[in-house]
Amino acid sequence: MSVQSPKQSLRTEVARLVRLWVLLLLVGAVEFGASFLPLGHLGRPLIMIPAIAMIGLVAFGFMNVTKGPVIVRTFAVAALFWLLILLALGSVDPLTRVNYTVPTPDQR
Amino acid sequence: MTAGSGLPHEFQYADASHQANTAIAGMWLFLATEVLLFGGLILCWIYSRHWNPVGFDAGARQTALWIGTLNTALLITSSFLYALGVAFMRVGNARALIHCLVLTLMLALAFLVLKFGLEYRDDFARHLFPTATRFALTGAEAAGGRLFFIFYFLGTGLHGIHMLVGMGLLVWIIRRARRGEFSPQYYTPVEVVGLYWSFVDLVWLTLYPLIYLVGRG
Repeated sequence: MSVQSPKQSLRTEVARLVRLWVLLLLVGAVEFGASFLPLGHLGRPLIMIPAIAMIGLVAFGFMNVTKGPVIVRTFAVAALFWLLILLALGSVDPLTRVNYTVPTPDQR
Repeated sequence: MTAGSGLPHEFQYADASHQANTAIAGMWLFLATEVLLFGGLILCWIYSRHWNPVGFDAGARQTALWIGTLNTALLITSSFLYALGVAFMRVGNARALIHCLVLTLMLALAFLVLKFGLEYRDDFARHLFPTATRFALTGAEAAGGRLFFIFYFLGTGLHGIHMLVGMGLLVWIIRRARRGEFSPQYYTPVEVVGLYWSFVDLVWLTLYPLIYLVGRG
Protein backbone atom coordinates (compact mmCIF):
# COMPACT_ATOMS: atom_id res chain seq x y z
CA MET A 1 0.00 0.00 0.00
CA SER A 2 1.52 3.31 -1.07
CA VAL A 3 1.85 6.15 1.45
CA GLN A 4 0.07 9.35 0.36
CA SER A 5 1.58 12.80 0.76
CA PRO A 6 -0.36 15.21 3.05
CA LYS A 7 -1.64 17.06 -0.04
CA GLN A 8 -2.84 13.85 -1.69
CA SER A 9 -4.49 12.59 1.49
CA LEU A 10 -6.24 15.96 1.91
CA ARG A 11 -7.53 15.77 -1.67
CA THR A 12 -8.80 12.22 -1.08
CA GLU A 13 -10.49 13.22 2.18
CA VAL A 14 -12.13 16.33 0.66
CA ALA A 15 -13.45 14.24 -2.27
CA ARG A 16 -14.86 11.68 0.19
CA LEU A 17 -16.57 14.38 2.28
CA VAL A 18 -18.08 16.07 -0.80
CA ARG A 19 -19.47 12.71 -2.01
CA LEU A 20 -20.92 12.09 1.44
CA TRP A 21 -22.50 15.56 1.59
CA VAL A 22 -24.14 15.11 -1.85
CA LEU A 23 -25.35 11.63 -0.86
CA LEU A 24 -26.88 12.99 2.37
CA LEU A 25 -28.73 15.70 0.44
CA LEU A 26 -29.98 13.09 -2.07
CA VAL A 27 -31.24 10.74 0.66
CA GLY A 28 -32.84 13.77 2.33
CA ALA A 29 -34.62 14.56 -0.95
CA VAL A 30 -35.85 10.93 -1.14
CA GLU A 31 -37.16 11.22 2.43
CA PHE A 32 -38.92 14.48 1.60
CA GLY A 33 -40.45 12.95 -1.57
CA ALA A 34 -41.56 9.80 0.28
CA SER A 35 -43.59 11.94 2.70
CA PHE A 36 -46.03 12.68 -0.16
CA LEU A 37 -46.70 8.98 -0.87
CA PRO A 38 -50.08 7.59 0.22
CA LEU A 39 -48.69 5.16 2.82
CA GLY A 40 -51.62 5.07 5.22
CA HIS A 41 -51.51 5.79 8.95
CA LEU A 42 -49.57 2.66 9.91
CA GLY A 43 -47.20 2.82 6.93
CA ARG A 44 -46.15 6.42 7.43
CA PRO A 45 -43.42 5.67 10.03
CA LEU A 46 -41.62 3.93 7.12
CA ILE A 47 -40.55 7.46 6.16
CA MET A 48 -38.03 7.04 9.00
CA ILE A 49 -36.02 4.55 6.89
CA PRO A 50 -34.19 7.24 4.84
CA ALA A 51 -33.67 9.16 8.13
CA ILE A 52 -31.99 6.11 9.68
CA ALA A 53 -29.80 5.80 6.56
CA MET A 54 -28.79 9.47 6.94
CA ILE A 55 -27.97 8.96 10.63
CA GLY A 56 -25.75 6.02 9.63
CA LEU A 57 -24.00 8.12 6.98
CA VAL A 58 -23.26 10.91 9.49
CA ALA A 59 -22.09 8.47 12.20
CA PHE A 60 -19.77 6.56 9.88
CA GLY A 61 -18.80 9.38 7.49
CA PHE A 62 -18.46 12.49 9.65
CA MET A 63 -18.07 11.06 13.16
CA ASN A 64 -15.79 8.20 12.03
CA VAL A 65 -17.23 5.82 14.60
CA THR A 66 -15.19 2.90 13.22
CA LYS A 67 -11.85 4.74 13.25
CA GLY A 68 -11.60 5.60 16.95
CA PRO A 69 -10.37 3.37 19.78
CA VAL A 70 -12.37 0.18 20.56
CA ILE A 71 -14.02 1.85 23.56
CA VAL A 72 -15.65 4.37 21.17
CA ARG A 73 -17.37 1.57 19.25
CA THR A 74 -18.40 0.01 22.56
CA PHE A 75 -20.05 3.27 23.69
CA ALA A 76 -21.77 3.71 20.31
CA VAL A 77 -23.11 0.13 20.28
CA ALA A 78 -24.18 0.42 23.95
CA ALA A 79 -26.07 3.65 23.19
CA LEU A 80 -27.88 1.97 20.29
CA PHE A 81 -28.60 -1.13 22.38
CA TRP A 82 -30.12 0.80 25.29
CA LEU A 83 -32.08 3.01 22.90
CA LEU A 84 -33.58 -0.12 21.31
CA ILE A 85 -34.38 -1.54 24.77
CA LEU A 86 -36.04 1.76 25.76
CA LEU A 87 -38.11 2.03 22.57
CA ALA A 88 -38.98 -1.69 22.35
CA LEU A 89 -40.08 -2.13 25.98
CA GLY A 90 -41.76 1.27 26.02
CA SER A 91 -43.73 0.51 22.84
CA VAL A 92 -44.94 -2.93 23.92
CA ASP A 93 -47.92 -1.54 25.83
CA PRO A 94 -49.34 0.86 23.21
CA LEU A 95 -48.77 -1.61 20.36
CA THR A 96 -50.30 -4.66 22.06
CA ARG A 97 -52.97 -3.32 24.42
CA VAL A 98 -56.56 -4.16 23.48
CA ASN A 99 -59.11 -1.59 24.53
CA TYR A 100 -62.52 -3.04 25.27
CA THR A 101 -65.51 -0.71 25.16
CA VAL A 102 -67.35 -0.27 28.44
CA PRO A 103 -70.96 -1.50 28.03
CA THR A 104 -73.63 1.09 28.64
CA PRO A 105 -76.28 0.33 31.33
CA ASP A 106 -78.86 -0.84 28.76
CA GLN A 107 -76.28 -3.21 27.17
CA ARG A 108 -75.58 -4.96 30.48
CA MET B 1 -4.94 9.59 16.92
CA THR B 2 -4.10 13.26 16.94
CA ALA B 3 -0.91 13.23 18.91
CA GLY B 4 2.18 11.08 18.77
CA SER B 5 4.67 10.20 21.48
CA GLY B 6 6.98 12.95 22.70
CA LEU B 7 4.20 15.56 22.88
CA PRO B 8 3.28 17.10 26.26
CA HIS B 9 0.47 15.39 28.15
CA GLU B 10 -1.13 15.31 31.59
CA PHE B 11 0.60 13.12 34.18
CA GLN B 12 -2.17 10.51 34.40
CA TYR B 13 -1.81 9.47 30.74
CA ALA B 14 0.85 7.20 29.28
CA ASP B 15 1.38 9.56 26.32
CA ALA B 16 -0.35 12.29 24.30
CA SER B 17 -2.23 9.82 22.10
CA HIS B 18 -3.61 8.12 25.22
CA GLN B 19 -4.86 11.54 26.39
CA ALA B 20 -6.41 12.28 22.98
CA ASN B 21 -8.16 8.89 22.80
CA THR B 22 -9.52 9.35 26.33
CA ALA B 23 -10.98 12.76 25.42
CA ILE B 24 -12.63 11.30 22.30
CA ALA B 25 -13.98 8.30 24.24
CA GLY B 26 -15.27 10.68 26.94
CA MET B 27 -17.26 12.64 24.37
CA TRP B 28 -18.72 9.40 22.95
CA LEU B 29 -19.79 8.34 26.44
CA PHE B 30 -21.49 11.71 26.93
CA LEU B 31 -23.22 11.32 23.54
CA ALA B 32 -24.44 7.85 24.60
CA THR B 33 -26.24 9.48 27.56
CA GLU B 34 -27.68 12.08 25.19
CA VAL B 35 -29.06 9.30 22.98
CA LEU B 36 -31.06 8.06 25.97
CA LEU B 37 -32.28 11.60 26.76
CA PHE B 38 -33.65 12.02 23.25
CA GLY B 39 -34.78 8.36 23.26
CA GLY B 40 -37.33 9.26 25.95
CA LEU B 41 -38.62 12.01 23.69
CA ILE B 42 -39.00 9.57 20.76
CA LEU B 43 -40.90 7.20 23.04
CA CYS B 44 -43.28 10.07 23.90
CA TRP B 45 -43.85 10.53 20.16
CA ILE B 46 -44.67 6.81 19.70
CA TYR B 47 -47.07 6.82 22.66
CA SER B 48 -48.81 10.10 21.82
CA ARG B 49 -49.27 9.34 18.13
CA HIS B 50 -50.49 5.81 18.81
CA TRP B 51 -53.29 6.91 21.15
CA ASN B 52 -54.19 10.14 19.33
CA PRO B 53 -53.49 9.48 15.62
CA VAL B 54 -55.99 11.95 14.11
CA GLY B 55 -55.13 14.97 16.25
CA PHE B 56 -51.40 14.20 16.32
CA ASP B 57 -51.17 14.06 12.51
CA ALA B 58 -53.40 17.14 12.22
CA GLY B 59 -50.88 18.95 14.42
CA ALA B 60 -47.99 17.81 12.19
CA ARG B 61 -49.78 19.25 9.15
CA GLN B 62 -49.72 22.71 10.81
CA THR B 63 -45.90 22.86 10.82
CA ALA B 64 -43.89 24.87 8.28
CA LEU B 65 -42.50 22.12 6.03
CA TRP B 66 -40.27 24.44 4.01
CA ILE B 67 -38.50 25.76 7.12
CA GLY B 68 -37.93 22.23 8.48
CA THR B 69 -36.59 21.03 5.12
CA LEU B 70 -34.33 24.05 4.61
CA ASN B 71 -33.01 23.69 8.17
CA THR B 72 -32.19 20.02 7.49
CA ALA B 73 -30.09 21.02 4.47
CA LEU B 74 -28.40 23.76 6.53
CA LEU B 75 -27.42 21.37 9.33
CA ILE B 76 -26.17 18.66 6.94
CA THR B 77 -24.02 21.30 5.21
CA SER B 78 -22.74 22.60 8.55
CA SER B 79 -21.62 19.09 9.57
CA PHE B 80 -19.92 18.71 6.19
CA LEU B 81 -18.10 22.02 6.63
CA TYR B 82 -16.95 21.07 10.13
CA ALA B 83 -15.60 17.72 8.89
CA LEU B 84 -13.86 19.62 6.07
CA GLY B 85 -12.25 21.90 8.67
CA VAL B 86 -10.94 18.88 10.60
CA ALA B 87 -9.45 17.50 7.35
CA PHE B 88 -7.67 20.83 6.76
CA MET B 89 -6.38 20.91 10.34
CA ARG B 90 -5.00 17.40 9.93
CA VAL B 91 -2.54 18.79 7.34
CA GLY B 92 -1.82 21.91 9.42
CA ASN B 93 -4.03 24.44 7.59
CA ALA B 94 -5.50 26.32 10.58
CA ARG B 95 -6.62 29.21 8.36
CA ALA B 96 -8.88 26.91 6.31
CA LEU B 97 -10.17 25.38 9.56
CA ILE B 98 -11.19 28.84 10.80
CA HIS B 99 -12.95 29.63 7.49
CA CYS B 100 -14.87 26.35 7.64
CA LEU B 101 -15.90 26.89 11.25
CA VAL B 102 -17.03 30.48 10.63
CA LEU B 103 -19.23 29.19 7.78
CA THR B 104 -20.52 26.43 10.09
CA LEU B 105 -21.38 29.08 12.68
CA MET B 106 -23.21 31.20 10.09
CA LEU B 107 -25.30 28.21 8.98
CA ALA B 108 -26.13 27.45 12.62
CA LEU B 109 -27.21 31.06 13.10
CA ALA B 110 -29.39 30.86 9.96
CA PHE B 111 -30.97 27.69 11.40
CA LEU B 112 -31.83 29.40 14.67
CA VAL B 113 -33.20 32.52 12.95
CA LEU B 114 -35.46 30.35 10.76
CA LYS B 115 -36.52 28.16 13.67
CA PHE B 116 -37.02 30.60 16.51
CA GLY B 117 -37.26 33.93 14.69
CA LEU B 118 -39.65 32.85 11.95
CA GLU B 119 -41.26 29.49 12.67
CA TYR B 120 -41.88 29.89 16.40
CA ARG B 121 -43.25 33.41 15.86
CA ASP B 122 -45.65 32.08 13.23
CA ASP B 123 -46.65 29.18 15.51
CA PHE B 124 -47.52 31.57 18.35
CA ALA B 125 -49.41 33.88 16.00
CA ARG B 126 -51.47 30.93 14.75
CA HIS B 127 -52.33 29.82 18.34
CA LEU B 128 -50.40 26.57 18.10
CA PHE B 129 -48.78 26.74 21.54
CA PRO B 130 -50.31 23.77 23.45
CA THR B 131 -51.59 25.88 26.36
CA ALA B 132 -53.15 28.56 24.14
CA THR B 133 -56.71 29.36 25.24
CA ARG B 134 -57.82 29.62 21.59
CA PHE B 135 -55.82 26.61 20.37
CA ALA B 136 -55.93 26.38 16.56
CA LEU B 137 -57.15 22.78 16.43
CA THR B 138 -60.63 22.04 17.70
CA GLY B 139 -63.00 19.09 18.15
CA ALA B 140 -61.57 15.60 17.81
CA GLU B 141 -58.19 17.03 16.75
CA ALA B 142 -57.66 19.26 19.79
CA ALA B 143 -56.29 16.76 22.34
CA GLY B 144 -53.89 15.03 19.93
CA GLY B 145 -52.93 18.37 18.42
CA ARG B 146 -51.96 19.74 21.82
CA LEU B 147 -49.88 16.61 22.51
CA PHE B 148 -48.13 17.03 19.16
CA PHE B 149 -47.21 20.62 19.93
CA ILE B 150 -45.93 19.67 23.41
CA PHE B 151 -43.61 17.22 21.62
CA TYR B 152 -42.77 19.85 18.98
CA PHE B 153 -41.83 22.64 21.38
CA LEU B 154 -40.01 20.31 23.78
CA GLY B 155 -38.07 18.55 21.00
CA THR B 156 -37.12 21.64 19.02
CA GLY B 157 -36.44 23.64 22.19
CA LEU B 158 -34.12 20.97 23.57
CA HIS B 159 -32.40 20.71 20.21
CA GLY B 160 -32.08 24.52 20.07
CA ILE B 161 -30.36 24.56 23.49
CA HIS B 162 -27.91 21.94 22.21
CA MET B 163 -27.27 24.11 19.15
CA LEU B 164 -26.53 27.15 21.32
CA VAL B 165 -24.04 25.11 23.36
CA GLY B 166 -22.50 23.86 20.11
CA MET B 167 -22.21 27.41 18.77
CA GLY B 168 -20.45 28.46 21.96
CA LEU B 169 -18.01 25.58 21.47
CA LEU B 170 -17.48 26.61 17.84
CA VAL B 171 -16.53 30.13 18.95
CA TRP B 172 -14.14 28.62 21.53
CA ILE B 173 -12.45 26.47 18.86
CA ILE B 174 -12.21 29.41 16.42
CA ARG B 175 -10.55 31.57 19.10
CA ARG B 176 -8.07 28.83 20.00
CA ALA B 177 -7.29 28.22 16.32
CA ARG B 178 -6.69 31.95 15.80
CA ARG B 179 -4.22 31.90 18.70
CA GLY B 180 -2.35 29.11 16.90
CA GLU B 181 -3.00 26.49 19.58
CA PHE B 182 -3.61 23.64 17.12
CA SER B 183 -1.20 21.75 14.92
CA PRO B 184 -1.28 18.52 12.85
CA GLN B 185 0.07 16.80 16.01
CA TYR B 186 -2.50 18.30 18.39
CA TYR B 187 -6.10 19.14 17.46
CA THR B 188 -8.06 16.90 19.85
CA PRO B 189 -10.51 19.68 20.93
CA VAL B 190 -11.40 20.25 17.24
CA GLU B 191 -12.24 16.55 16.86
CA VAL B 192 -14.17 16.35 20.13
CA VAL B 193 -16.33 19.41 19.38
CA GLY B 194 -16.86 18.01 15.86
CA LEU B 195 -18.38 14.87 17.39
CA TYR B 196 -20.78 17.00 19.42
CA TRP B 197 -21.70 19.09 16.38
CA SER B 198 -22.44 16.01 14.26
CA PHE B 199 -24.57 14.64 17.11
CA VAL B 200 -26.67 17.82 17.09
CA ASP B 201 -27.14 17.11 13.37
CA LEU B 202 -28.17 13.50 14.13
CA VAL B 203 -30.81 14.69 16.60
CA TRP B 204 -32.29 16.99 13.97
CA LEU B 205 -32.24 14.20 11.34
CA THR B 206 -34.44 12.24 13.77
CA LEU B 207 -36.74 15.12 14.73
CA TYR B 208 -37.29 16.32 11.14
CA PRO B 209 -39.34 13.30 9.92
CA LEU B 210 -41.10 12.88 13.30
CA ILE B 211 -42.28 16.50 13.28
CA TYR B 212 -42.70 17.46 9.64
CA LEU B 213 -43.08 14.32 7.50
CA VAL B 214 -44.74 11.32 9.16
CA GLY B 215 -48.00 13.16 9.98
CA ARG B 216 -48.38 14.56 6.47
CA GLY B 217 -49.94 12.89 3.44
